Amino acid sequence: MAVKAKHQRLVLVVIALVAILGAGALAAWALRSQASYFYVPSEIAAKPPEPDRAVRLGGMVERGSLKTEADGVTIAFVVGDGKARVPVRFKGITPSLFVEGSGVVAEGRMGADGTFNADNLLAKHDERYVPREMKDMTAAQARETVKETQ
Amino acid sequence: MHGFANPARFLRIARWLTPLLLLSGIVLSAGSLAWGLWRAPAESLQGETVRILFIHVPTAWLGMAGWSAIAVASLVELVWRHPLAGIAARASALPGAVYTAMCLISGSLWGRPAWGTWWVWDGRLTSMLVLLFLYFGYMALAQASENAGQSRVAAIFGLVGAVNIPIIHYSVLWWNSLHQPPSISVGNSAMAPDFLIPLLVATVGFSLIFGGVVLTRMRTILADAQAEARLRRKAQATEGQA
Amino acid sequence: MRETLDPWLFIYVSYAMGVIGTALMVGWSWLGMKAAEARRDRSRER
Repeated sequence: MAVKAKHQRLVLVVIALVAILGAGALAAWALRSQASYFYVPSEIAAKPPEPDRAVRLGGMVERGSLKTEADGVTIAFVVGDGKARVPVRFKGITPSLFVEGSGVVAEGRMGADGTFNADNLLAKHDERYVPREMKDMTAAQARETVKETQ
Repeated sequence: MHGFANPARFLRIARWLTPLLLLSGIVLSAGSLAWGLWRAPAESLQGETVRILFIHVPTAWLGMAGWSAIAVASLVELVWRHPLAGIAARASALPGAVYTAMCLISGSLWGRPAWGTWWVWDGRLTSMLVLLFLYFGYMALAQASENAGQSRVAAIFGLVGAVNIPIIHYSVLWWNSLHQPPSISVGNSAMAPDFLIPLLVATVGFSLIFGGVVLTRMRTILADAQAEARLRRKAQATEGQA
Repeated sequence: MRETLDPWLFIYVSYAMGVIGTALMVGWSWLGMKAAEARRDRSRER
């Protein structure tokens, strides 16, 4: 009798857990676009936001695209996600990790000329952690070193 | 399993295990933090700031592991009515909340130099803040129901709140977020051994301290319950005599 | 213009927060346990 009650409780708790997890997964799925912190360039290209709406644009700063304009303060660069590219203009102080070939999130508005006017830049870094001394080696050397230390 | 239900048996083990966990945890974490502070290399892009990793990742892991412990113990309490399980769940709440808060603070201190901001409302940061508030709610419920002599409500809350744990983990994969995806997954690491090894040692050390604090708090709860029960028996006995 | 921050300030503050926070949590829990077990032992004697 006691064993039966225990099984009944177990079944009830498992059913409740499955229901809660299902509800959570459903909510996360429904939120998948709203909960995103930024749009990637291909989303901006497919569905451009209204010119005056504040949005965030995130992607990689394309190598070789970073230029300082004639006034010496404004910078221009291109953010890409491999499928689309959006030119960005920004005037202000950039975070210390803002470099070409790395991730960036720009807060601002889409201009009528197709350029994104950023009010603020955030640097986004990736999941790789590489010691500074190893960066100057060639990729093959770095792999050797990693292998040796493992 | 019910062999451990006996508090006397639990106390016999906990008496020597508690200082052992705390001391070994303190030695391991102090060593790995000193290593992280002065011996680990600077990172190629982030530079010195990367050292916050050795505080941030172990505390993040324990903040999430703490709630997982609450959920598992609550399940055992609800289904098997195991008397020590409810105590273990309550004992995990404070260290879990402390580590979650330390994860948020160290993350903020890392975000300012690395990202250029103290805080953003992206999926990862928001779900971690939700976890801290879940801990506060759980502690309030456990406190309130303890006085009423029933802990079922806290246990149910502990189970329901566990839904946030996978959300925290997958937030960086489901949604575009400022926070980067995980560097370490099973059998795979995007982290050089210079960072990975001290990080693993720090995580083990912090986890041992966590286990020691859980045992400490379980012993506190048990001692309080025993003292209270004895005083009540004595009060009844003197009433009987009068 | 690039922002220049001293990373060591952020590093030391976060390490201090971690060490002090852990020490407070361990010390407070340990003293609380010792006090509770002393109360229990006293209630046994009387």
